[in-house]
Amino acid sequence: MAKQKNYGMVIDTRVCVACSACVYACKSENGVPEGYCRDWVVQETEGAYPKLRMENRSERCQHCENAPCVTYCPTGASHYAGDGTVQVNRYRCTGCKACLAACPYDARYVHPEGYVDKCSLCKHRLEQGLETACVSVCPTTSLNLVDFNEPEAKADEMMNGKEVYRQKEHAGTNPSLYWISASNKPGA
Amino acid sequence: MTETTTEIISTKLNPNVLPHLHIWEWHIPLYLFLGGMAGGLLVITSIMIVLKRRFGIGPRDEGDGCPCLAVRIGSILSPVLLGVGMLFLFLDLAHPLYVWAFYTTIQPTSPMSAGSWILIAFFPLAVLQAMLVNKKFLRERNIGIVNKLIDWTEDHLTPVALVNAHIGVGIGIYTGILLSFFSARPLWSSSILGMLFLVSGISSAAALMLLLAPDDEKPTYSMIDANAIWIELVVVGLFVLGGITGPANSSGAMMHLIAGDYQMAGLSYMIWFWGIFVALGLLVPLLLEFLEAAGVHIKFPQVAPVLVLIGGLVLRFLIVFAGQTYHTFM
Repeated sequence: MAKQKNYGMVIDTRVCVACSACVYACKSENGVPEGYCRDWVVQETEGAYPKLRMENRSERCQHCENAPCVTYCPTGASHYAGDGTVQVNRYRCTGCKACLAACPYDARYVHPEGYVDKCSLCKHRLEQGLETACVSVCPTTSLNLVDFNEPEAKADEMMNGKEVYRQKEHAGTNPSLYWISASNKPGA
Repeated sequence: MTETTTEIISTKLNPNVLPHLHIWEWHIPLYLFLGGMAGGLLVITSIMIVLKRRFGIGPRDEGDGCPCLAVRIGSILSPVLLGVGMLFLFLDLAHPLYVWAFYTTIQPTSPMSAGSWILIAFFPLAVLQAMLVNKKFLRERNIGIVNKLIDWTEDHLTPVALVNAHIGVGIGIYTGILLSFFSARPLWSSSILGMLFLVSGISSAAALMLLLAPDDEKPTYSMIDANAIWIELVVVGLFVLGGITGPANSSGAMMHLIAGDYQMAGLSYMIWFWGIFVALGLLVPLLLEFLEAAGVHIKFPQVAPVLVLIGGLVLRFLIVFAGQTYHTFM
């Protein structure tokens, strides 16, 4: 039996140019309706001119290990899929919106067809051995799909010796997205 | 020193969370109000029944174990109001036809799952209690199965009422817990919210019974309401203090509610909270009911209970809206 997967992402913000290819790849792959998105690009500028620092990053559901949306879901529609991802079973979703209120990352939206939707980490592609749509089109390899259960972890190699953070860790969610900070010195 | 700034530009498209959380409109606050009042009615009527039957205390004795007319009316209104509230809850669902999904599972960590079951558990005994206290009218109709049901449970009204008092408290608290478990929403994330909604529900229920009760029963409900308002003032104080003395997320959210200039129906949250909820919804009716008890006759005795009901409704709208318009946990 194959070893259980534990998917997540390592996102290298040093090389992200905020091109939005990930957003549109996702929209077309997953049929995301107009006016909504499953992933999005954030550009954060900090400091005082001329000493400014900028970070671009492509954000999405954090596939938390302790996901408030799953904790709160009254029907079990939001669930842990067993491969490190959090999924929504649309055929059990009543659209009560408790998960939207519970998510500290505001990653979810109400699909016009009456269920709650969010990034699935392209589960349908992972099952075919493919990478997610966003990772497959990222032109600068900022987006990286990783399996934290891999023995020679690609994740460790990428993050070693660099300043890495996770978003809102103090919310206690244990998110599966790791961010290589843009404040790392070149060549770190 | 030069000023440092942070500027964030995002391509996120999602009207449900931008510019702020926007998921619950008027249905949910109205349900919270009606549900709280239904729970309060069940608590008050059940306790009145137990007091009468076990200790002989009550406004009057009508001979069939029911303490008074207001209890007869309140017992009927309780399941009716909850039913209406649940209709709004149902209408809020994005996919109402999947409502069955609540009842094919028990999710132990989800307050909404517990709530959906307690809402169902509420009805059988609440309806039975409403039938038992109104049995003389039901007997006149002489419906076979109803007669049998009444005969069978006639001697057990006290235990039914005792269980109902607990279910009523459960419903009242649940309406607050529904919001207070969301740690991502700083205003709601307060464990005293359940208590606040319970006391407010009991107070609204007492006000409704005060409005409907015949004159000789009014003093009892005026007294219950005045006591509930006292307790509610304390709980509101704790809710506000707990917020403003909390960490940045909580204190910011509480200031957004009590001193915010964000508007609801043309008035700022600050005016709604202090002017309408605290002053008109709690302090003025408390004063009026105190004067009434002290023997000062008030020309319009309906004013106090109507203000209490308006205050209870405003509280639910304020909490639900202000909780959504403040930023997500940071």
